[in-house]
Amino acid sequence: MIAPTPPAPDVVVGRSARMRAVFEFLRVIGTSESTVLITGESGTGKEVTATLIHQGSRRRHRPFVAVSCALFSESLIESELFGHERGAFTGAIKDRPGRFEMADGGTLFLDDIDDVPLSMQVKLLRVLQNRTIERLGGTRTVPVNVRIIAGSKKNLQQMVADGKFREDLFYRLNVLPLTLPPLRERREDIPALMDYFIERYYRRKGDDVPPISEAVRQAFLRYRWPGNVRELENACERIAQMCSCGTVGIGCVAASVLLQSDGPLPELPAAAAPPPAEPPVFESAPTPAPPSLSQDAPISLDDRMRELEASLIGWALKVSHGNKSRAAELLQIKRSTLGDRINRCGLGHAASSAHDEHRVPTVAST
Amino acid sequence: MVTTERVEAVLARVRPFIQADGGNIELIAVEGNSAAVRLTGRCAGCASAHMTLYLGVEMALREQMPEFGTLRLR
Repeated sequence: MIAPTPPAPDVVVGRSARMRAVFEFLRVIGTSESTVLITGESGTGKEVTATLIHQGSRRRHRPFVAVSCALFSESLIESELFGHERGAFTGAIKDRPGRFEMADGGTLFLDDIDDVPLSMQVKLLRVLQNRTIERLGGTRTVPVNVRIIAGSKKNLQQMVADGKFREDLFYRLNVLPLTLPPLRERREDIPALMDYFIERYYRRKGDDVPPISEAVRQAFLRYRWPGNVRELENACERIAQMCSCGTVGIGCVAASVLLQSDGPLPELPAAAAPPPAEPPVFESAPTPAPPSLSQDAPISLDDRMRELEASLIGWALKVSHGNKSRAAELLQIKRSTLGDRINRCGLGHAASSAHDEHRVPTVAST
Repeated sequence: MVTTERVEAVLARVRPFIQADGGNIELIAVEGNSAAVRLTGRCAGCASAHMTLYLGVEMALREQMPEFGTLRLR
């Protein structure tokens, strides 16, 4: 059985269909050890999600190490990831373990994997395949036990098609693919996110949380949020720092939010309508996020079918509270077939904990 | 060329929000390449609101009209 998750340093807020699918994915992959590839625009919460996956895994008491592969020059990435021995290069005055070693036994989050140069991708692939590293300038082969989560801003499959990303590395990473929706595609979550961040930053200041005027809410709902949740969080922090009027008014909102320059205001979706109460059970069957691909980009039918299969199996296991015979009935397949499919999808561990509702790391709006 | 119409077009983008909060932003005059506006309503007395709107609107005006001079609040 799984112990309650320790308090999360951060939470993911949202009850939109897109986010419910994400939570469903997190729950289904549960204690899986497989590699996860998180794709999402800047600011959509890739690292937060990676932390949640780590905390839901059996590695949660071991280190979570996040490293951005975009931060370092090509030669530095290698030293950063694999470490170096004293004297490996000028300035290497002592042995230094790399991020792989620091994450030993835990989870390594390789963010901005789309920025890794091709030459480095070969080395990364070898490490992921052999699960051993060699420090720069070292001769010793060090075995490492890390669970990999990769983060990408761009669609890696498209990059493979364009010859910018190695196909073999892509398949090595794309075991459990997760797409985080941009904020503009889940506008109905904006009010809850606003309330959450406004409250957080006023409380951090030690002040009472003021009400927010309707005009401010409208402005936030209509803005496109190119920087996604991170931008919205910053806008809320700014309000908390600037506004002491008793009610948050339009004057405290950054003018860029009011004055978005890209043409007419986008149509508001059902955002104004009250959010549905509890969704009926079947609606919570995870609909895999539609491929966020440009129109003529190739998509792998097999991969999509696998995702769909995994999410439907996850749904059946949830509804049946982890009872596989019942789940098999729901899916109208044989019990033994279900077992095979579960193993094939790498959901083996998730199945046994499918009814651990408390592990869904979510804060729903009220 | 800075005209009343072009300045109004920019103001029209923020005005609905300010009006929804019970205030307004009015164009008083266009003088050469500069313009003067008046802010009314709840936010009118707030220094930080002045700064926000003033800087934001001036920036937007300059984006539309690179020759735009200064925005004055009255």
